[in-house]
Amino acid sequence: MTWEPHIFKDLHQIPREEHVFPGTPLCAGCGGLESLRLASKVLGSNVVYVNAAGCFTNLAAFPFTPLDASWLYTTMGSAPAGAQGVRDALDVLIAKGRLPKEEDVKVVVLGGDGSTYDMALSSTSGAITRKLDFYYFCYDNEAYGNTGVQLSPATPYGARTATSPCAVRHPAGTMQEKKDIFEIWRAHKPPYIATVSPRYPLDLEEKFARAAQYSGPKLFLAFAACPTGWLFDPAYTPDVAKLAVECGIWPLKEAINGEVVHTYLPKRQPVEHYLKLQGRFRHLFEPTVQTDAIAHIQERVNTYWRDVT
Amino acid sequence: MLSIRFHGRGGQGAKTASRIVGTAAFLEGFTAQDSPIYGAERRGAPVAAFTRIAKKPIRERGLIARPDLVVVADASLIGDPSARVLDGVDERTVLFVNSPLTPDQLRARTSVSGRLTVLDLTDLALKQFGKRGAISALLGAVAGRLAGLRPESIREAIVRELTDLGLTAPVIERNQALAMQCFEAVQPVTLEPGPRAPVPSAQLRTPTYDPPTRGTAGITAGPNSAIRSVSGWRTFRPVLRPDLCNGCWLCFASCPEGAITIKPDGKPAVYYPHCKGCLDCVEVCPTDAMTVEREPEGANK
Ligand SMILES: Cc1ncc(C[n+]2csc(CCOP(=O)(O)OP(=O)(O)O)c2C)c(N)n1
Ligand code: SF4
Repeated sequence: MTWEPHIFKDLHQIPREEHVFPGTPLCAGCGGLESLRLASKVLGSNVVYVNAAGCFTNLAAFPFTPLDASWLYTTMGSAPAGAQGVRDALDVLIAKGRLPKEEDVKVVVLGGDGSTYDMALSSTSGAITRKLDFYYFCYDNEAYGNTGVQLSPATPYGARTATSPCAVRHPAGTMQEKKDIFEIWRAHKPPYIATVSPRYPLDLEEKFARAAQYSGPKLFLAFAACPTGWLFDPAYTPDVAKLAVECGIWPLKEAINGEVVHTYLPKRQPVEHYLKLQGRFRHLFEPTVQTDAIAHIQERVNTYWRDVT
Repeated sequence: MLSIRFHGRGGQGAKTASRIVGTAAFLEGFTAQDSPIYGAERRGAPVAAFTRIAKKPIRERGLIARPDLVVVADASLIGDPSARVLDGVDERTVLFVNSPLTPDQLRARTSVSGRLTVLDLTDLALKQFGKRGAISALLGAVAGRLAGLRPESIREAIVRELTDLGLTAPVIERNQALAMQCFEAVQPVTLEPGPRAPVPSAQLRTPTYDPPTRGTAGITAGPNSAIRSVSGWRTFRPVLRPDLCNGCWLCFASCPEGAITIKPDGKPAVYYPHCKGCLDCVEVCPTDAMTVEREPEGANK
């Protein structure tokens, strides 16, 4: 079955109105910010963002904020719990007639992969189980970025981080496989889950627009190419994001009530094209080519697509 | 004891430069200390790093408030109050600035005075490497020269520090070679370390709060970050050639900052105070209508 966008078919449909404004101290070329800006164009300004500590902490550096929405800052492990509190408060206020229903706002969690895959996982699981009506936006830069790029459960095999360097005993760098958070979320059967990439802006906008019709947990995993942590020139953020999808490493998909549909079927270029752009994989190519490690990464991608198509 | 303070933008290599100087001094038998400021530093945002060199054990810790030598990787930082480049600088302090301007031009355009050395490292690196990138080895070599360190130890320190960062031998050799050129290009100076006037202690003020019955502290303004200019972050700027633009809006969709707006005629326009110079728009443009220009130095960006 091929997936068709219903709403966003042309780039000129992307709303011109901004909801995440310039002037943040986030890195030049931040792929996470790029996704958030696009998402916010659909989410609008009637939003409370509940932000787990991470790079996005820097969004709102007092006394400045780039958001025309509200922002609540939480610890790394508790953003979904914070979202529950905000949602409950809104519900109570509406029930008591102290807040008109039209003034209700969306509750949106912002979390890096460190919180999402690791520290806030139990809190997220609880929120999904309780069918909390919220959005979860994870910008996945595949490391604990804000503290200097340490290994997280989202770091893929073969990447170099501050705590998984290329070393004699593990020349490929990171030895673990990236945790499949999509499937962990899906096991909870929330109404809507999607992966997105800012280099596929129509796919991204469409998914946020679609999710809006579901009440309950709506979970998004956004590919966040990170020039600082992945060691590439910020100009290549779009190329890294594109090749992640085109090489089959970052599948674009959604799951509605647990039913998975791939929203884009890449022709699947060799993974080298993606790896070679980034300094975090340089040790796989220089000084000697680590053929086995690269083949392993390719094999994982092949297996994924064999199993889903 | 010699106190060296480095100022740069995240990604330029100020932190690594401080390590190169520290390591080189250590190799020459000195006691050395090097450390960057930690403050969730982003690529492009102001960063600082510190190196102390002495014959005896160093007891002092923390930031360097009274530097003997200040190394500035990006001249646009001088005018940025948050970077505090000139804090604690007095008539004995030697200042190195990476800039295409002459010392006199720099003095005229900024508040810099006193003992100033200037060299355009960015241009040298661009010519040599063909693309923008960190200039840590060059900064380290210049700082080492001004600090009176030997070329051999700086070469060795560059190898050690860049190897640590995962760079390969050919890249390190190219960096070493260019670093040595910079070493030669800078005239040695006599630094005048020694006791300096202490920094006056800050006057603390107790903040006043409204009583909780009136409201809690919070930002109730709209999206006010847009009043801040991020122009200083750029070393290059995207420049649109409207004749080549087909109005596809890819650049507008891809700008992480939202620095590109759409004009009434449907064509994009870059608003420079909001542009950090990531050049993502240049990369996505299908018709090469977005071109790249090196940021004019000292201009009012
Ligand atoms: C409980 C706890 N441990 C450690 C920290 C320090 N800390 C702040 S941000 C951060 C990194 C977060 O990583 P991630 O969630 O991946 O987001 P990113 O920084 O990559 O955006 C850490 C470890 C913290 N704030 N709270
Ligand atoms: S470290 Fe990476 S994810 Fe964090 S702000 Fe910078 S580019 Fe974005």
